[in-house]
Amino acid sequence: MDKYDAVVIGGGNGGLVAAIRLLQGGAKVLLVEKHNLPGGFATSFKRGRFEFEASLHELNDFGTKDNAGDVRDLFDALGVTDKIDWTEIPEAYRVISREEKIDATMPFGIKAFIDKMESYVPGSRRSMEKFFELAKTIHAAQAYSNSVNGATDKKVMLSKYANFVRVGSYSVNEVLDALKMPKKAKDILNAYWCYLGAHCDDLSFIHYASMVYRYITKGASMPKMRSHEISLALVERIRELGGDVWFNTEAVKILTGNDGIEGVVLNGGKTIQTRHVIANCAPHLVYGKMIDNVPERIVKATNARKFAGRGLTMFLGLNKSADELGIENHNYFLYDTMDSKKQYELMKKISTNKVQATVCLNRAYPECSPKGTCMMYFTTLFMEDDWGNVSAKDYFKVKDEYVKVMIDRFEKDTGSKISDSIEEISLATPMTYAHYCGHPEGDIYGYESQYWDGLTPRLLMMNEDYQNGIRGLRFAGGYSMRLSGYSSAYFSGDISGRQTVGDIKREG
Amino acid sequence: MAFRFKKQIFGFMDLIRFTKLVDKRRAKLENAPATPLPVTYRVNETAKILHPAPLTVKLVGIVKDSPDTKTYTFELPQKAFFRAGQYAVLRAKIGDSLVSRPYAISSSPYTALNDGKVSLTIKKSGYFSSYMFDKAKEGDEFTLSLPFGNFFYESVKDCPHIVGIAGGSGITPFYSMIKGIEEGSEDFKLTLFYGAKTANDLVFKDELDKVSNDKIKIVYVLSDEKSDGYENGFISADIIKKYVDGDFTAMLCGPNAMYNFVDAELAKMGVSGKFVKHEANCTASRDVKPKTYKLTVHIQDEVYTVEADAADTILTSMERAGLSVPARCRAGGCGFCHSKLVSGKFSIAGADKRRLADSKFGYIHPCCSYPDSDMELIVPRG
Ligand SMILES: Cc1cc2nc3c(=O)[nH]c(=O)nc-3n(C[C@H](O)[C@H](O)[C@H](O)COP(=O)(O)OP(=O)(O)OC[C@H]3O[C@@H](n4cnc5c(N)ncnc54)[C@H](O)[C@@H]3O)c2cc1C
Ligand code: FES
Repeated sequence: MDKYDAVVIGGGNGGLVAAIRLLQGGAKVLLVEKHNLPGGFATSFKRGRFEFEASLHELNDFGTKDNAGDVRDLFDALGVTDKIDWTEIPEAYRVISREEKIDATMPFGIKAFIDKMESYVPGSRRSMEKFFELAKTIHAAQAYSNSVNGATDKKVMLSKYANFVRVGSYSVNEVLDALKMPKKAKDILNAYWCYLGAHCDDLSFIHYASMVYRYITKGASMPKMRSHEISLALVERIRELGGDVWFNTEAVKILTGNDGIEGVVLNGGKTIQTRHVIANCAPHLVYGKMIDNVPERIVKATNARKFAGRGLTMFLGLNKSADELGIENHNYFLYDTMDSKKQYELMKKISTNKVQATVCLNRAYPECSPKGTCMMYFTTLFMEDDWGNVSAKDYFKVKDEYVKVMIDRFEKDTGSKISDSIEEISLATPMTYAHYCGHPEGDIYGYESQYWDGLTPRLLMMNEDYQNGIRGLRFAGGYSMRLSGYSSAYFSGDISGRQTVGDIKREG
Repeated sequence: MAFRFKKQIFGFMDLIRFTKLVDKRRAKLENAPATPLPVTYRVNETAKILHPAPLTVKLVGIVKDSPDTKTYTFELPQKAFFRAGQYAVLRAKIGDSLVSRPYAISSSPYTALNDGKVSLTIKKSGYFSSYMFDKAKEGDEFTLSLPFGNFFYESVKDCPHIVGIAGGSGITPFYSMIKGIEEGSEDFKLTLFYGAKTANDLVFKDELDKVSNDKIKIVYVLSDEKSDGYENGFISADIIKKYVDGDFTAMLCGPNAMYNFVDAELAKMGVSGKFVKHEANCTASRDVKPKTYKLTVHIQDEVYTVEADAADTILTSMERAGLSVPARCRAGGCGFCHSKLVSGKFSIAGADKRRLADSKFGYIHPCCSYPDSDMELIVPRG
């Protein structure tokens, strides 16, 4: 029987990084991936003369050599930065709400961001400065917490990062109101909220502010060959370090005994002996069908959690250039209302969800598609399981209708005309995500960043969650302690990988 | 300009709230219901119908359509759904080889959804199709994967009028479309030009003659026979113009020689680019000096050494040797056979359809690559 120190189930962003960390810690590692490609959502696909990015809008917290973000530091440590050709995203975002007459294009860089905000919202400067000051402290506190593996010293926290602790329990809007930020400035600043998938009355300020801080101070990057390039670079690194990666291989069961993890059963019947598993998939799946006799405590803890947004992305290959079509920006947030709570409600149903986060990749990397063409992708989230109400019979019709809604919104909000120039089109729905990555309900954002289950409480309870779970079982990816998003998933793999190295030393 | 954030009146309340975060979450986790976790979800169940895992299917019907073509009907263990024009992959064990081929689905989408049945119409032409023609019998079991490909009507980008161009067994996806239009799963106007050598070679002729639907018009074009009710020659601009006016999207399915000819004819009419769609064809073997190479193949923790004929694709050599390896389109385009090249030289048939990063990191598509030296590959399990 094959025997490994650790098995990583799933080769998404979290799993791939976890495997490298395990190998760097000296472990013998097998990574199994049920798809024929690595990366999970971090992949690309070809249609005609276009190679579409499957999911990455922009990688935040990467930065440049001279102004490295945490992701770059991590990639340096993993040994993959130089395997990938990067390009930088030109500006932060353009946010539009036609209804509420908001149309703002925001730059990277704190000073530029605050100046631009002041030009849109005179009188916002003071509150914006305070926002970035808070965000800076949060970022520093997080760096401190990471450096001590989450075992923070209360005294240090209170003396050096007191503002972190003070804002730590509040939602985005609670803090921004306390800063007396003008409404319009709040609206523009909150534009990124859909990247985290919880509305600003519920979303933890710490989580949001640290993300905005990372974007605005470090900019954002994109691998030139789409995220497939990152995923292949990570696999290459795993193999260089002597790890095994098996594709088209699904873990169907995780074997447990009195002392926790004992092995993994693969499709095709092979059993792998191991005492450690890092699952790059949903606890709902692991405890719902992969492990028998799950203790009641775990069932309860799993039931407590709420699925985050179910994903939908439309991909368009256009037979005219971005200039010709009048597509001016790299990424757009198009909302009905800037009231994120109201918008969140509208995002529950197919009939009312018209939100989109849209990218024209050529605006960051002009050569990403042939001359005279451009490539776009439009993403939205569903805050309820409405696609569960769509039967297979109606599926294609619902898709075709939804495509029209998305195109219409983009054309009306931005004034560019794209519908006549569509050469390639593809729509990935929650069913597509359920099929490719196996996630429940086509959820692409893990567990929602609700107030009680946000970033801070998850990090504070990281060790407790492990102790209350099954010995030898840790998680990586969007469902785990760093929540969803590319950088977060990479960090979760980093954390779980290193922790498992410790577990192996301690637990054998 | 350091400032002290204060939300509550005294500030220390903010600190207490922070320390409560853990208690709150702990209580939430402990007090949730102990109801068993779901084993599946509605979206995931629908996804299984739209994208079934490879299915073990039973051959339940064989109909001879023409001297060299038969339609095989398979019973699926579940319902499935697809867009008319998409293909399935049929896999069988023939002798020691595990072989698969892609075939356009000739039955309608609703037949798969309502009756759990799928038909493939196969022309006897080579190794796999001859096995089907000569040996396959009712009751036999196969593995069927479906649905794949983008050869279907896309309402957002295509004109609502499709001009179908079918050559020989290329009629199959259009037959599914015709049934789909009749049954209401598809909604577009179809003018179909169906080319064959003689009237005898027209598969589905009787069924097609019975079609009576405002949205469908069928024109037979015979290259080697002249008779009433048939156009004669190849499918040319002149013939197309006789039956079609206004904007249309052309969809072509047939041999590569037909594509070359018809593409040029369409270009004369100003129809090109996104308005012309082709179904891919399987990569054939190549003409080279006879030579065999050694192919070392890693699949999971097994290592195999097999012979590779310089004339055959790497995929064919692996299948011939009895390895279970992934394959779908066999045309280089779907990426399902994606394998890591450890060492060795190869040539790609036709255009390189890999993802950009694949070439960079040394991944190849064995279905459309021939060996030019001994080779070593890491291949996913099939
Ligand atoms: C999207 C798509 C849809 C299609 N739809 C249809 C359709 O509807 N109807 C239809 O008739 N065709 C269809 N085709 C074509 C079809 O897939 C096959 O190419 C066709 O049936 C010929 O296959 P064959 O094995 O009979 O012939 P060949 O592919 O020519 O068979 C010869 C090949 O088999 C190899 N071989 C020989 N011995 C062995 C062995 N022991 N083990 C393994 N391999 C061996 C040879 O080296 C050679 O490469 C479609 C193709 C595509 C890509
Ligand atoms: S089988 Fe489709 S690319 Fe090889």
